[in-house]
Amino acid sequence: MIDHILSILIFFPALAAVLGFMIHKDSIRAYGVAIGIIEFALSLWLWFSFDSNVSGMQFMEHIPLVPSFGINYILGVDGISLFILILAAFFTMIGIASLTDTKNVKNMIITLLFLQMTMMGVFSALDGIVFYVFWELSLVPMLYIIGAWGGPLRIYASVKFFLYTFAGSLVMLVGMLFMAYFYYQATGQWSFAILDWYRLILPENIQLWLFAAFFMGFAIKVPMFPFHTWLPYAHGQAPTIGSVILAAILLKMGTYAFIRFSLPLFPDASTYFMFPVAILAIIMIVYTAMIAYAQKDIKQVVAYSSVSHMGVIILGTFALNVEGISGSIFLMIAHGVVSGALFLLVGVIYDRRHTKMMDQFGGLAHVMPRYATIFGLMMMASVGMPLTINFVGEFLSLLGFYQQSHILTLLAGIAIIVGAIYMLAAYKKMFFGEVTHEENRNLPDVNKRELVALIPLAIITVWLGVYPKPVLGPINNSVEAIVQLMHDKSITEDAKSRIPNLIKGTEGAH
Amino acid sequence: MLEPINVSLESLNLMTLSPMLIPIIGALFILVIDMFKSGLDKTLYVVLSMLFLIMDFGSLLGAAGGFTDNGTMMGMFDVMLIDGLAILSQFIIVGASILFIPLALTNKRFHEFSYPEFFALFLFMISGFQFMVATDNLILVFVGLETSSLALYTLIAMHNRDKSFEAAVKYFTMGALAAGFFSFGSMVFYALTGSVEINQIATVLAANNYADIGFVLIGVVFLLASFGFKLSLVPFHTWAPDVYEGSSAAMAGYMSIVPKIAAFVVSMRLFEFLIHSGVAWLEIVLYIFVVLTMTMANIWALVQTDVKRMLAYSSVSHAGFVMAAILIGTTQSNSALFLYWILFSFTNLGSFSMLWMSRQKHLPEHQGSDHSYDKFAGMIQTAPVAASIMALFMLSLAGLPPFALFWGKLYMISSAVTGGYTVLALIMALNSAIAGYYYLKLIVYMFMKDPVVGNDGNIYVTNATLGLKSIIGFAAVGTIFAFVALDPLLEFITTFVYNSGY
Repeated sequence: MIDHILSILIFFPALAAVLGFMIHKDSIRAYGVAIGIIEFALSLWLWFSFDSNVSGMQFMEHIPLVPSFGINYILGVDGISLFILILAAFFTMIGIASLTDTKNVKNMIITLLFLQMTMMGVFSALDGIVFYVFWELSLVPMLYIIGAWGGPLRIYASVKFFLYTFAGSLVMLVGMLFMAYFYYQATGQWSFAILDWYRLILPENIQLWLFAAFFMGFAIKVPMFPFHTWLPYAHGQAPTIGSVILAAILLKMGTYAFIRFSLPLFPDASTYFMFPVAILAIIMIVYTAMIAYAQKDIKQVVAYSSVSHMGVIILGTFALNVEGISGSIFLMIAHGVVSGALFLLVGVIYDRRHTKMMDQFGGLAHVMPRYATIFGLMMMASVGMPLTINFVGEFLSLLGFYQQSHILTLLAGIAIIVGAIYMLAAYKKMFFGEVTHEENRNLPDVNKRELVALIPLAIITVWLGVYPKPVLGPINNSVEAIVQLMHDKSITEDAKSRIPNLIKGTEGAH
Repeated sequence: MLEPINVSLESLNLMTLSPMLIPIIGALFILVIDMFKSGLDKTLYVVLSMLFLIMDFGSLLGAAGGFTDNGTMMGMFDVMLIDGLAILSQFIIVGASILFIPLALTNKRFHEFSYPEFFALFLFMISGFQFMVATDNLILVFVGLETSSLALYTLIAMHNRDKSFEAAVKYFTMGALAAGFFSFGSMVFYALTGSVEINQIATVLAANNYADIGFVLIGVVFLLASFGFKLSLVPFHTWAPDVYEGSSAAMAGYMSIVPKIAAFVVSMRLFEFLIHSGVAWLEIVLYIFVVLTMTMANIWALVQTDVKRMLAYSSVSHAGFVMAAILIGTTQSNSALFLYWILFSFTNLGSFSMLWMSRQKHLPEHQGSDHSYDKFAGMIQTAPVAASIMALFMLSLAGLPPFALFWGKLYMISSAVTGGYTVLALIMALNSAIAGYYYLKLIVYMFMKDPVVGNDGNIYVTNATLGLKSIIGFAAVGTIFAFVALDPLLEFITTFVYNSGY
């Protein structure tokens, strides 16, 4: 059964969702939490059985779907995707556990379970079409969650989210079809399997076009500047659980896809576009930080800070070396934990006061000390304080990019300081000072249900910040394999020099 | 002194005629029954039609076996041509008809189903379409075209509402014009080459190296206009929304599938050799038609307030998408055409049947038209299962994986990529994105808006019976599980298309 753990991880929530229709709505919460716990336990079993010393794909599955066209159901997990899978299971579990009073909670939980299926599918798929199926399918539950339980502009937000991502993904699909066609021309066989595509070396001009096509799909998902305009609406209008899942997992699909597709398939194009993408990333970091500082709504502050952190992740990815890419993957996990926690925290105060405007608060630390502590911890983590999980990721990402360009790294480092500015300002507005509004005086502190979600996140933030090795180890192994693959496949001088060769003693043998 | 024409009796080959004869016999049978005992319930005629169509399907299976063993068969003194294309399209025509005829088993009484002539005409129409696709001879194409079209006009008009009469008359007048264009175009080709058989025409024109290119282009223009009308390509599409709106939903669904595939096959036969011959003008014009049809139909669909009209424009857009296959002209693109159309049949069957199921006799005050968007507002709360099924069909039409139409779009875009039409592939992909908006609009109304006061969910199933629900169930299962049958289907289609020389 362990051989098919990935298929079980993908289809167990879907099966549970279908059966969930039969559950009475009073028991649906317990059912949802139970399924979340089982799924999380399965993902921990996966981690336990995962061999950290192997850098390639493990637990692979292969079922032919349309053999004449090269579409196969191929799954696999390596160090890069392992922790994102565990994170997805974890967040669905605590998300469902922390669901407060929602109308139609049965529909919500069933939708969340379907969403979990699509998330698991994206991160384990090793066939282009299977990846695309899960990638697009994840849009439908999210559309429903934002559109049915969201704020006043929810229909605009959900439709914009859907269509923007859908359009980008279609361009990516055309790119994938071209990739399969080139594979067919080179080998005479149709195949959409990513591992087969890894073996294909393409001429540079073709790489550039294909990189651009894939970039359209991924950049909108990340979201990169200037394709980020859907995110503030989506976060602003979504219910708490929607924002949590969106920020923690769905945004990672884009950055994961860069590492799984763009970098190994198009190493020369990645090197060629490294500086433009890095400039975009730095703009993301600085520009969205400035916008976050100007926000009046705490949820929008967190939303823009999300985009800002994704900028650092992209910077680490396009460092094209082991430290940078490992750092960016670790930062993906970290950002998931911290952003998820921040959105949950915003949800806590929204449930109390039904407003997210920071000027409605003030002096909350006097009234809700425990809440203020956890919020403070997560805020510090978001800023990138050492001993928290974000610091490890940011440091490694910047360390990686420093080897490519000193100046840009310096700029990025300065930009991270801007992150501190808006976060500290927001914290001050909400928590410090005198209690300015009477309504805030008697607010209850965090209750058990909310703590169940927040305490584990706080523990992970500090634990992995102090001792990241259990997570960083497997990531490092798989990233080394990818970087070596990129180095061996690259055909231009520039790429060969920028992507490090990890096999010692063979320098100059090209 | 006239020379005696020697025609061997072997080339009569009556077996090739059997798939077409069966619906004709069925239609005559129904008329005879009605002659002896009138006033019988419509269920008798529905079942009789289904039986004859199933026998027709069976004889097609036999013909398919014959094609796999012996290759292309000619019949009726070489007027009939049973090649892979003919067999594939007849499978689709007869199969779709089998699935559409049970939609006559409605809860409410409709004028057309109380006349057995409806079912006789339906069967005559099917045989007309079958003749159209199973021949290389322009005259027989014309005969089939007219038989089916005249029957179709009557079927539309039998719905007995003012809009239906308007629709039928509009369709008739424009169809008559198109038929005139077709005969004029055929005449030009006959004058140029001395033959009305398409392969003969191709051979003679190639032998002359397209010497009278001016006249050839005139013939092409007329034929393009004629098929542009039938396929509702822009700018010959103007009949489509009004005719779809005026017909009953079941008839509209049928019209979006079966006449189009028949016209596609004839266009494939007619235009393939012209495109391959390098008549550049035709390629450019077809490219423009395809892009215009896809894009403009999508844009017009965006502003519709009635779901049936939206689906009409969407069918126009899908037809444009598929016309690109004929433009590209490779084996992969022709196979993609058939694959797409089979998957499209399931999806359109489902969506139009859902509309048919919610057909009301009288319009409530807040609704502007028969199937306006506000009718479907808040459907998830009042009729959740129906809403989910409708959403399923909308998502499939938008091209969301893993539902049926995604695979068709995938293979079609792939054939554009393989054929070297990069920009066309991008345009096709982006049009899918534009189309996503109007399909999403219905989903938004169903799932995210509140129902109109006093709506108890029954209005969505007023017309439902077991038969209707099973057809919808069948379409839904086909849409969700299409990927399972994809490989055998693709192999079958590609073999047949390739062995026909396309």
